[in-house]
Amino acid sequence: MSELGDHIQLTPTEASDPRWYQKAVFYEVGVRGFYDSNDDGFGDLRGLTEKLDYIEWLGVDCLWLLPFYQSPLRDGGYDIADFFSILPEFGDLADAMTLLEEAHRRGIRVVADLVVNHTSDQHPWFQESRQSRDNPKSDWYVWSDDDQKYKDARIIFVDTESSNWSWDPVRQQYFWHRFFSHQPDLNYDNEEVQQAMIDVVKFWLDLGLDGFRVDAVPYLFEREGTNCENLPETHEYLKRLRKEVDASFPGRVLLAEANQWPADVVEYFGQGDEFHMCFHFPIMPRMFMSVRREQRYPITEILSQTPEIPEGTQWGMFLRNHDELTLEMVTDEERDYMYAEYAKDPRMRRNVGISRRLAPLVENDRRVAELLHAMLFSMPGSPVLYYGDEIGMGDNIYLGDRDGVRTPMQWTPDRNGGFSKADFARLYLPPLMDPVYGYQAVNVEAEMRDPSSMLHWMKRMLEVRKQHPVFGTGSMEFISVDNPSVLAYVRREAESGDTILCVNNLSRFAQPAELPMQQFDGLTPIELLGRVPFPKIGELPYFVTLGPYQFYWFQLVDQSGSEDRGGDDA
Amino acid sequence: MSGLPKFDLDDIRRLLPSFLAKQRWYSGGEPDTIGIEQDEQLHDRMLWLLVDADGKRYQVPVGGCATSAPPDFLHGHDASIVGASNDVLLYDATLDPELATALLSVVAPDEDVTYVRPMGAEQSNTSLVFDDRLVLKVFRRVHDGANPDIEVTAALGGVGFKHVAAPVGVWERDQRHLAVVQPYLQGATDGWALALTSLRDLYASEHIDDPAQAGGDFGAEARRLGEVTAAMHVALARAFGTDKADVGQWVGVMLRQLERVGAEQPWRSQAEKVFQSFASLANRGPSIRVHGDYHLGQAVRTDAGWFVLDFEGEPARPLAERRLPSSPLKDVSGMLRSFHYAAEVALREREETDVKRLRPLARAWEQRNRKKFLDGYLATDGIDELLGGNEKDTEAALNAWELDKAVYEVGYELGHRPDWVAIPESAVLRILEEE
Repeated sequence: MSELGDHIQLTPTEASDPRWYQKAVFYEVGVRGFYDSNDDGFGDLRGLTEKLDYIEWLGVDCLWLLPFYQSPLRDGGYDIADFFSILPEFGDLADAMTLLEEAHRRGIRVVADLVVNHTSDQHPWFQESRQSRDNPKSDWYVWSDDDQKYKDARIIFVDTESSNWSWDPVRQQYFWHRFFSHQPDLNYDNEEVQQAMIDVVKFWLDLGLDGFRVDAVPYLFEREGTNCENLPETHEYLKRLRKEVDASFPGRVLLAEANQWPADVVEYFGQGDEFHMCFHFPIMPRMFMSVRREQRYPITEILSQTPEIPEGTQWGMFLRNHDELTLEMVTDEERDYMYAEYAKDPRMRRNVGISRRLAPLVENDRRVAELLHAMLFSMPGSPVLYYGDEIGMGDNIYLGDRDGVRTPMQWTPDRNGGFSKADFARLYLPPLMDPVYGYQAVNVEAEMRDPSSMLHWMKRMLEVRKQHPVFGTGSMEFISVDNPSVLAYVRREAESGDTILCVNNLSRFAQPAELPMQQFDGLTPIELLGRVPFPKIGELPYFVTLGPYQFYWFQLVDQSGSEDRGGDDA
Repeated sequence: MSGLPKFDLDDIRRLLPSFLAKQRWYSGGEPDTIGIEQDEQLHDRMLWLLVDADGKRYQVPVGGCATSAPPDFLHGHDASIVGASNDVLLYDATLDPELATALLSVVAPDEDVTYVRPMGAEQSNTSLVFDDRLVLKVFRRVHDGANPDIEVTAALGGVGFKHVAAPVGVWERDQRHLAVVQPYLQGATDGWALALTSLRDLYASEHIDDPAQAGGDFGAEARRLGEVTAAMHVALARAFGTDKADVGQWVGVMLRQLERVGAEQPWRSQAEKVFQSFASLANRGPSIRVHGDYHLGQAVRTDAGWFVLDFEGEPARPLAERRLPSSPLKDVSGMLRSFHYAAEVALREREETDVKRLRPLARAWEQRNRKKFLDGYLATDGIDELLGGNEKDTEAALNAWELDKAVYEVGYELGHRPDWVAIPESAVLRILEEE
């Protein structure tokens, strides 16, 4: 294995910026749903490799793969049955290595999901552990004679689980699980478990993987009298993991999924010695809410509650992902509101969230979809796109669980949306076929041909974003605007001298905005998508008008001394 | 001019009358008499003046520079130029970033700032924003005694109430407040603008007859505003103490106003009855220091929730009267009336052909947000003790205060905006109908 690993490490991505993730655009994709190379109805690693040209064309910097490990697939692959092998439907280790090699050749990095908190109950570790109370792995999971311990820990999947303990008839004891009852929690108080997980991480990094998105990190340890989340012991272990990664694999990234308030999430950055990145969960529902309310406060108040993060770390920002629109982090009143606005049909409610894709969430209003992306791309953090959202794909709420947003990627208007040549009935999930979002109306091929498509717009936005690293690493200052429907902020970076003013109209009506920009007196705003110079900023408030859901990105440039606009392109 | 400007007081006295007449914060034309009560050089290029113009005191900081080299910031600000004295050009010092910063350091010596901008159009005072972090408010008209806004915000800050911009520096001389530095409420919008945003969205929504279903619903904001209002009253009672309610005096004022405004109105006697039955309520709680001029425009939404502004009371009244204690329901009624005004004003933005269709929506919006505001207000810890009575008495008292406010508005609109009198009039009739 290590022979092949050494080979991969010669790829060009190794040599570049070790903090690449601060400026990268991520693209989340489930292997199962992207492209089927062998006509079995299941997307696979080879299929994904075949589509790398598309991903490169779009301008994505890093792929995030949903779990591809051996699994009984009772939780979309998050129930891992063997950390060292690939789910056969996806291919094998050689396919994974080809994917990494081909991605790296195109300058694209690849990170993958890893579940450290628990395994599938089919995992050999659990199968061994449950056999007796004194086998070598008997202590690898959390066992108890009764189900009364750790009562203060909340139940996360409230729709399906009634307790965090389940009875195992084999061992005649209860086992602890924070998620589904078929996903027993590993016992991190056991040093062997700690080491085993580090071995898993090293195995994949050795193969050339660029990092992990680590699932469900707050729950590794359990302590009586606590809610068993964010415990000091958990942080200590994660720091150890980071140290091991840095020592052998500099430039790889660890991304935390910790669905908590920002003030708690920042703990997972440590002093810059824990995770490189964490997802910013609460911002996402707030962005939707701001657009519905036509006022900026849902966004600005959560950003003002977001602490500074350590040097060298970054937020992961997303509009939608493979899970539901997460509402754990909003107040009850806001949650009721989000339900009322976005999920009038109770079937759309899953756990405490909403299973919809972006386009149907915004009632297929492309202006809103563009505005939300423009904000996503211009706020501090690295944006994470969800496959299919770049073409405005829809969802199918009648599919079970969270499958509604995991339907096949729509490549062409041909059979099965060009995803697979298998018989329709063999497909892992039916592609969308409704008249609005179906593959005949919405697909990559058609949007490639249409220069005004969402896809081309997205590609252009990613291009512009890449030209201005300030979007990734610059500071953010809000500009005070009297009009509550207008959200304006300046991104700025001393290093490059780049200063960008972003103005967003959250309203469905045209809006005026007077921006107090006196501190930028004398600079000329240049609109970034068309490079059109606007009137110079003076000592009076800078006045702009915005159409419904319109946004501007202005680079602020000192043009004194040059008559024409010159070639100043940051 | 060589070196620093020399200020010639005689010249300045001669130039001041025409300068004052051009200022928005000065009421009236050129004063007949002008005197310089105090002068002090606060900076090499700034002379601070306390001026007596026709018996009223004004604060005028004057900057100076060479007439040969007028600075850029004066460009387009002719009204801010005092005039030329020898080879010195004299101007309003608040326009000069360097002098404005010098003025700031007089009021708040510990603050370090890098840039300054004026804060919008202001009538009676001059406010400057530093680094989008601090506001320096220079009172132009200088009154004897404490400025009620400084007095109240400082006291509220002192008892730990977080929803005011408590002063970080105050400039006081001879028991007169001259200037104050407060935190700048970054990104704030006033409640009036937010309410109109919500209403415009509602009125443009097809197929919606319940404002709670509209995208721009204001209900949650109204509720939070109610909570902040109640917390403000609890804090005011802690900061300034409570008094026994003098309901007789309150009702006396209500009746006198009714006499003035409503003498000719068909609803006069019915209104009288409402006020009289208010006088006979058994439980009415204590009287406390109140905001006094409370409406949607006095509350601003920030990233840290609602903040309350401007505790100066109704500016038309004398200072002593503005400090008089009253019922917290006086403020509550002011805000409730403001919801009605907002719904009606947004309605007036629409074409006349829409108005009939939209009026039930306007009413529903008002009802929803009144209810949400009151829900939040009444659910706040400590407010019960300030309301005294049972729920029914509170409702009756609130009715009387609201009627009083609406009667005041009828009088005000008749004098200023006769087109608008229908708004408070409809409120008077509605309150009497519900009695």
